[in-house]
Amino acid sequence: MIAFEHVGKRYGGRFEALAHLNFHVAPGEMVFLTGHSGAGKSSLLRLIMRLEKPTRGRVVVAGHDIATLHPSQVPFYRRQIGVVFQDHQLLFDRSVFKNVALPLEIQGLEPRESARRVRAALDKVGLLHREKALPVELSGGEQQRVGIARAVVNKPALLLADEPTGNLDPHLSADIMGLFEDFNRIGTTVMIASHDLALIARLKHRILRLRDGRLIADEGAV
Amino acid sequence: MKRPTPSEPSRRQGAVSRRRASAVPDRRAPAPKPKPRATGPGLGSRARAWGRHHRAMLADSLQRLVRHPLGSLLTMLAIAIALVLPAALWLTLDSARLLDAELDESATLTVYLEPAVDQAQAERIEEAVGAEAGVGETRLISAEEGMATFQRSLGLDDTLMGLEENPLPASIVIHPQSVDPGAMEALAGQLEGLAGVDEVRLDLAWVERLRHLANLGRRVALALGVLFGFGVLLVVGNTIRLAVESRRREIEVVMLIGATHAFVRRPFLYSGAWYGFGGGGLALLLLGLGNHWLSLPVAALAASYGADFSLPQLDVAGSTILLACSTLLGWLGAWLAVSRHLASIRPR
Repeated sequence: MIAFEHVGKRYGGRFEALAHLNFHVAPGEMVFLTGHSGAGKSSLLRLIMRLEKPTRGRVVVAGHDIATLHPSQVPFYRRQIGVVFQDHQLLFDRSVFKNVALPLEIQGLEPRESARRVRAALDKVGLLHREKALPVELSGGEQQRVGIARAVVNKPALLLADEPTGNLDPHLSADIMGLFEDFNRIGTTVMIASHDLALIARLKHRILRLRDGRLIADEGAV
Repeated sequence: MKRPTPSEPSRRQGAVSRRRASAVPDRRAPAPKPKPRATGPGLGSRARAWGRHHRAMLADSLQRLVRHPLGSLLTMLAIAIALVLPAALWLTLDSARLLDAELDESATLTVYLEPAVDQAQAERIEEAVGAEAGVGETRLISAEEGMATFQRSLGLDDTLMGLEENPLPASIVIHPQSVDPGAMEALAGQLEGLAGVDEVRLDLAWVERLRHLANLGRRVALALGVLFGFGVLLVVGNTIRLAVESRRREIEVVMLIGATHAFVRRPFLYSGAWYGFGGGGLALLLLGLGNHWLSLPVAALAASYGADFSLPQLDVAGSTILLACSTLLGWLGAWLAVSRHLASIRPR
């Protein structure tokens, strides 16, 4: 699903955010990406989302070499990837329902089918009863769940999350991780960047450790 | 500085990737393969989705306009004012074109006969002139008739009464078939050769001058139209630029989750078109008000000249063209503004 081959990323010609990255993630895998802040976790995710191109090496996601992807194809490429952000990137001028429906609206799904899928996704994250609420009326944990519902509503093959539990207390964090495990169980490839070491150690999935833009450890599940 | 090339990764990296070469999730049965992505929807349903989004954005952009009535109105008013001036000038020139046609009607040649020619001879010459190629209607003005007209027009009855004999020759007024200046010159030369003809006058200078003036007016109107059209583009462009800026976060988010540029651009294009449409409508209203405001004094002025003249008004076709042009300009202004800004907006 994801292949990094000798990938390096420099910003401004000097700062080396990533260097010599080599790893593969198989379809259906669940992987944690960890390391101190500034280790390159976000840069790595940005490469996969094709927000940036590698300065060296190759990044291949779902069969697409992201460097050779034509700009007009990028939107369609991104639709295959669900992304959960630390600050969840919800739109505050519209209801929870409309936020979750956004990816489907972009894809031009027929409204009735769209509503069905939105409710299914909201049900999955346990927020079906809040569909009419505005994001500001929700707690941090609930907002993050809405973000997750939006990321999975179009059933992406790959789910990325950047510090999805960064602002949550341990109990809520475990809940959110449980949700990701659920999606992984039905076949979605999941990659989560997190520095909550205690939590991810308990979950027993593969862990990629980054330091200064390099992969220093690739630990399989115990 | 030596950098390892992609083909020779550092030892440690190589070791890491080898260890995970056959990355298979363990601890549980191999995960099921992700379902192949549903093949894209058919052309028909895509077209329906496209139409649906267009309708939604048409309504959404209108709602946004209505939500800020004062701002929207001011933008539209700016557009309307930019449109009124060239439109009014165009209308004026249009009525001048009618005048132009009347001028053509009044373009004549005057053939002065030799003083010795008497009435009978004059009538024969008129016939001969009438037979020449390029001559339309002719009218013979006898020496006496000419004198009478002259006296009337100058109000000099008494002075001229003192003259012993009529100094004016008989003349023939000719309406040429072609009012083209060159053709009229040629005709004049041709008529001058006839027996009994003293002189042929064609007073083209003022006709020419009027025509040049009308041409100048048309060019000025065109230049103003282009200039003010740019003005409309700028007004709409600036308004849309602010709208894009205020929805920047939303644009970033939808681009992150796979929106195409066309999708992002669409609501703004409709906003621009609405501004243009509203501005065009207001311009029509202003033109109507101006017409109403000026019609009384213009009628009074025309009456004092004994003329039947009223201010030109935009007909249905003209109004439609104005509305269509302003809507198109609004759309174009929005397109330019959004395209320029989309390039600068990159999802974080």
